[in-house]
Amino acid sequence: MLSYADRLASMRETKIKHTLQKREQNGFTDLDDFGTVPLPEGYEVLPWYNSENGSFYGFEGMAENFCRVLDAHPAYVDPMEMLCGRWRDMLVNYRGDVHYMPDWMKKNPKLRDFVAGGEVTAQWSKRWDEKRFPYDDLKPLQKKYNIATGIDGDAHFACDYRIGLSLGFGGLIEKIEKYRKINVGKDDFYDAELTCIHAMLRFIDRHIAEITRQLETESRLEIRESLEKMRTVCENIRLGAPKTFHEACQWVAFFNCFARIYTRDGAGFQLDTILLPYYEADVAAGILDDETAKFLIADLLLIDPHYYQISGVDADDNDITNHLSYLILDAADSINISCNLTVRVHENCDPEFLTLAVKYLFKNQNGWPRFCGDKALLEGYMKNSPDIDKATARERIAVGCNWMCVPGREFPMNDTVKINIAKVLEQAIIDLRAEGGEPSLARLYELWEAHLTKAAEVVAAGVNLHLDHIGEVTPELIMNLMFKNSIERGEDASKCAELYTIGCDGAGLAVVADSLAAIETRIETEHVVTWEQLFAALDDDFADERLRAIMKSVPKYCSGGSVADRWAKTLTDSYVRIIRGVKMPNGRMLVPGWFSWARSIEYGKAVGATPNGRRSGEPISHGANPNPGFRVDSAVTAQANGIAAVQPGYGNTAPLQLEFDPKIAADEGGIEAVCQLIREHFRQGGTLININILNGEKLLEAHKNPMSHPDHVVRVTGFTAYFASLTPGFRQLVVNRFLEGI
Amino acid sequence: MSQPVGIVADIERSSTHDGPGMRTVVFLKGCPLHCVWCHNPECIDPRPQELFYPDKCIGCKRCAEGCYTGARVICGRKMTVADVMREVDADRGYYGREGGLTVSGGEPLMQREFTLALLREAKARGIGTAVETSMIYWDEEIFRACDLVMFDVKLPDDERHKRWTGVPFAPIRANILRLAGLGVPMLARTPVVPGVNADAATIGEIAAFLRDIPAVYKYELLSYHPLGVAKQRALGQPETQFEIPSKQLMEELKQYAFLR
Repeated sequence: MLSYADRLASMRETKIKHTLQKREQNGFTDLDDFGTVPLPEGYEVLPWYNSENGSFYGFEGMAENFCRVLDAHPAYVDPMEMLCGRWRDMLVNYRGDVHYMPDWMKKNPKLRDFVAGGEVTAQWSKRWDEKRFPYDDLKPLQKKYNIATGIDGDAHFACDYRIGLSLGFGGLIEKIEKYRKINVGKDDFYDAELTCIHAMLRFIDRHIAEITRQLETESRLEIRESLEKMRTVCENIRLGAPKTFHEACQWVAFFNCFARIYTRDGAGFQLDTILLPYYEADVAAGILDDETAKFLIADLLLIDPHYYQISGVDADDNDITNHLSYLILDAADSINISCNLTVRVHENCDPEFLTLAVKYLFKNQNGWPRFCGDKALLEGYMKNSPDIDKATARERIAVGCNWMCVPGREFPMNDTVKINIAKVLEQAIIDLRAEGGEPSLARLYELWEAHLTKAAEVVAAGVNLHLDHIGEVTPELIMNLMFKNSIERGEDASKCAELYTIGCDGAGLAVVADSLAAIETRIETEHVVTWEQLFAALDDDFADERLRAIMKSVPKYCSGGSVADRWAKTLTDSYVRIIRGVKMPNGRMLVPGWFSWARSIEYGKAVGATPNGRRSGEPISHGANPNPGFRVDSAVTAQANGIAAVQPGYGNTAPLQLEFDPKIAADEGGIEAVCQLIREHFRQGGTLININILNGEKLLEAHKNPMSHPDHVVRVTGFTAYFASLTPGFRQLVVNRFLEGI
Repeated sequence: MSQPVGIVADIERSSTHDGPGMRTVVFLKGCPLHCVWCHNPECIDPRPQELFYPDKCIGCKRCAEGCYTGARVICGRKMTVADVMREVDADRGYYGREGGLTVSGGEPLMQREFTLALLREAKARGIGTAVETSMIYWDEEIFRACDLVMFDVKLPDDERHKRWTGVPFAPIRANILRLAGLGVPMLARTPVVPGVNADAATIGEIAAFLRDIPAVYKYELLSYHPLGVAKQRALGQPETQFEIPSKQLMEELKQYAFLR
């Protein structure tokens, strides 16, 4: 008889097999794993295009193509699991999304021709309807400052799962019909929503049929029983609201598939409190034991590596850690894949829970869980507006790669908008040279601020364009279902959000801070280098190695009390002031953060040599992290202090990304030392900590032969990925980070 | 009265290998022992020294104007207690109940005034204190200023101890026994060096000696590592390299390294 442990082992094996197959189908990718399964033989979607430029947009275009892609998805039922359903493909691919397009699509001649044909945007091919909503006027400056504009970026907000779980798909249909009658003239919206829900029901029906088919030949008694239960659960939640823990998990699993298939959408929720009532009711009724609950959670985490927050405190600062919080950690330990769990840390939190979380981090060495700091996130977010109360700020939870969101109420576009501040520095240096006369650091900094101001204005113009029209281009038909006021008003989430606190991250902090420190120290204080020598070195890419060494050896950001640390703080103050200073309509505001996502290679390619001795095209610094070699001892405490000091302070993150040697935990007190590191960084104002436990031998082996460790997960930036699936360039970056101790 | 000044080889923050918890380790110059396998050979001479790493040299031939590549490095800088405490204080939030300052070396008791002042200053600021010492010196004031004393027992007999470290074991043994009477927690360690002490009889004999000292709460075996060799080369000294003990050997020896 198969135990849960046997079944989990089989599920892990299947996951490894899928990772290898996906690598074959998709090629290398620097993205989240997303929990997809490989495409079946003969899989094909015939998209329906409704736009002059050959793409599809709007309620009808998105709903119709959602149906086409979802209907092409066969059922996925693994008899080892208790939950069913998986996603494999998403409809935005069919608009020529060059960023996410996997290899198998690039090989499809029809799609290749589609991408190549007609007018395309530089960033996303035909995702944005440029004919109707052009922004040619913004493009030169967007390019000049290497801006990730957010225009046509999807999702990056969070649903309020309580809405869906309380209504079920049947309840959502009734809600749509109710409000259709109230909001006359919005049939396009409501038709599209209904069309999508009916496609979802067909998807569930295919699963019921597949379970029935498998039952015809399944002879193992315990698996038969499990499949029968799975079928009953699917039948119950086809229209009804989930009533049991099992049903709630299955409902979430299905919904996540739908949101992913739509536009890779979706985000997690506070897993240990939203599911708690179901858990407690089932346990009280005697129909659920902890082993089964753990297995179900493990299965849910396997199905989709959404970002879930656990632990934390309520609006009155009371600890909300509960028995289910512990079960979730144990469940993640039992499946040990790329689990994106974030533990919210507060001084009133259960210390035993934090210790267990850190123990699992070291035990499994798979980049989970990570940690966010309640104090800075709460206090920072409240600073955005007097209308944001403490309860709202506390509801803003960790549900994305580096980002937070108030589920169902906020439309933050987080992680889609970025400014490469190293590129901004490059422009400032160009101007400084063009001015003639005697250059100075003070003047260079004035120019940097002036360029950043222009960049921020261009960002705001792009964000406004996006918010004004994204509902007509890519309405969020799936996530609208669980977004406050959307169905009630017949409006897209992008139109009816209560909070438009739009994330605007700066990238390249360490490069710029170290550059300014190098100029101050070597040119203006020590006079060992002249401006002319620096300009010549930037032109010839530091052909003079000695000059490069002189500029590079200035104490770096995060070395502690250095000139570069001071500059990093000054840059942060300027960045915050300038980003906050941009005026936007309709209650919109930009919220500053420091984060580069996985763009440090791409952004580096766009920037020539910089005064810190970085050569042209080399990657820029990673998020808020220091440059390699920031201290000889690579002290994590110095790094934690440095990053705590540059927090922008408005509730968005400047993450502390650490790579630890697994041996640290073997030392007595190692776990406690890491717990203390986490607590202290958050006490100092830190927002998010991502920790990789990297075993050097394993990492180098996997770099040489990625397929030797197909189950090795690393936290790349905010997100986790299978190391074997990353591009060689990005694997090298992770290896370098490890070797340099950052 | 002027503040004591120390000759500091290095300060390492975020250490989890030199005592419990998160620690800042201050390595001082100068040691009367000459352990053949020493992994900090730059800390033996009490005076500042230049280390030269040819692989980092770019051949600019402008050494006199200053080396910026890390090829020529001076080990040993004069620092006051206040200088060092600035670094130590930067991490006070991370030390927790167990971590803190470790004064190491070299032999920290060779710079006894400086070491004592550092330990007392840290204590006054509520920071945990420890020394890593060879126990060749007796210094009650220093030991009483410590929350923990870490020491090596390299070999259990005079003859071999003298051959491999330059000093006999007897005075060290006497100081260890004397320290046991002060009530300061003691952490004992043996660097396992093949060809020197990597055998069951030697480790067993050391463990038997330590077993009778209640203040010794832990006995650790540390695997020899050849990090000192590159530094010997950089110092222009003869290189002495030993075999790295296998994991299997370390596991076998651990069976003999029990306290009680």
